[in-house]
Amino acid sequence: MCADLERIPRTLLVSERSSFQNQKNQLSAHVGQHHFNYKVSVLLPECGSAPPLLDAALNGFSSFYLIRNLPVYMLLDQDFLQTAVHQGSVYGLSFGCRVDEDPCVALMPNGRLVLSLDKDSFELLGFERKKYRFTKRATSRYVVSVNFSDSSMTPGGRGYQRLLTGLKTHLPLVVDFLVSHHPGGTTALQPLLSRYDWSEHRPSVSTRCLANLPCPLLTSDLQSCDPHSVLDWLGAVDADVSCENSSSSFLSTMVCPEPKTTASSALNMSVSGFLNPHEIHHLIQELRSYLDQSQLASWVALTVHGFTDSPVSWAGDERSVLWSGNTFYSLLLFKDDTYQLHLATGAHHTCPP
Amino acid sequence: MRRDADKEEAAVYQRVVRKNGAPYHYLKTHLVLEDESVRLSAVELKLFIISGLKNLYGEVGAALTFDLLKYNEDTLSALLRVHSRGLVKLWSSLTLLGSFQGQACCLQGPAGVSVPAGAVRKQS
Repeated sequence: MCADLERIPRTLLVSERSSFQNQKNQLSAHVGQHHFNYKVSVLLPECGSAPPLLDAALNGFSSFYLIRNLPVYMLLDQDFLQTAVHQGSVYGLSFGCRVDEDPCVALMPNGRLVLSLDKDSFELLGFERKKYRFTKRATSRYVVSVNFSDSSMTPGGRGYQRLLTGLKTHLPLVVDFLVSHHPGGTTALQPLLSRYDWSEHRPSVSTRCLANLPCPLLTSDLQSCDPHSVLDWLGAVDADVSCENSSSSFLSTMVCPEPKTTASSALNMSVSGFLNPHEIHHLIQELRSYLDQSQLASWVALTVHGFTDSPVSWAGDERSVLWSGNTFYSLLLFKDDTYQLHLATGAHHTCPP
Repeated sequence: MRRDADKEEAAVYQRVVRKNGAPYHYLKTHLVLEDESVRLSAVELKLFIISGLKNLYGEVGAALTFDLLKYNEDTLSALLRVHSRGLVKLWSSLTLLGSFQGQACCLQGPAGVSVPAGAVRKQS
């Protein structure tokens, strides 16, 4: 019993260190494969006011749309498939659903539709599924994944008709749906938007100035500081948690990891919404330019949080929350063009690629 | 020679996978009281949680160290940090806390993650 009480939920942290000079670096692939991003936070040490280019990049994130009460079979609409799915990148995710309890839907830019269903819903749908990886004894969740670029999933194909019939008659799922399109925007999504109640939303940007911020002494190798401590500290700064505690404090003993220094000023900027990876990639390029020009900063940090209730994690692998809902990556950029990338997943995710 | 060394440095690619290495877990939780007008300070909330640990796991449970990182007195929501090995004990005692000063209460939506900023976003 004691052993069970001390059982640690499975966590994975993948740390990569490389350089932008290295042609084989995986950074773009990792950013591109994390499809559903909720929040991006940037920490700029030794910076007192928002650099104009970074400010423009953060304010330049595209609008996204929330469609209320969308029947899921509409995602198989021929017009929608032609104008949006087969032309550019569509990002779509059910909104207000809990991934462990409710039916969840994700539409990925590579044309894959993923439905995460409970047993009853799955049996009503009558469509084949993948084996769900995280429940070994009694399967409680069923993941149906189809690719609209497969020949059987083209309109009129056998799989297409079967799924359409299932979603129209046997399991008429209706969800609130977040959707965005790159680069088409509203025009490409017109087949959906014209039929249902929808609203357009702009990502919200916030900026916080921090004075005399204790910072760990970060260097481009992985030796200087334990990555878990650095990520804890970055999270604490982002969540506005104080790290100035003594070991005898009653409420909290959280402190900045050693060795540390003090930044006279720092800027914490964040944008939240339904953010697409293309624009995060652009933001990373702007951060590199800023770091090149900055005289004082030797590093900057960027953290990207995924949606807790997304049924997919990196590259479309299935995920759920249950014990722990980690889905984020942190990127530390250094002045010498090297970077450290930390990709974290929780108890019920596969390892990042 | 210097240029060669630079190129070699630029070509470095290192990947390390750490499994179950997170020293801490973070919980975002929200206290719901029968009488909504009652307010608690951060110290009172922490003492309340310690009393729950003591009831369930005795003196050893009460000695479990955890941090109350952030607390909002208006919404009664708190961000807790605990050593990963103490997560089950803290989570179970939070779940079973049912009474505060004679009135019914519950702690909603303990949701665990291994970084604090992730816990902040999790809905109760």
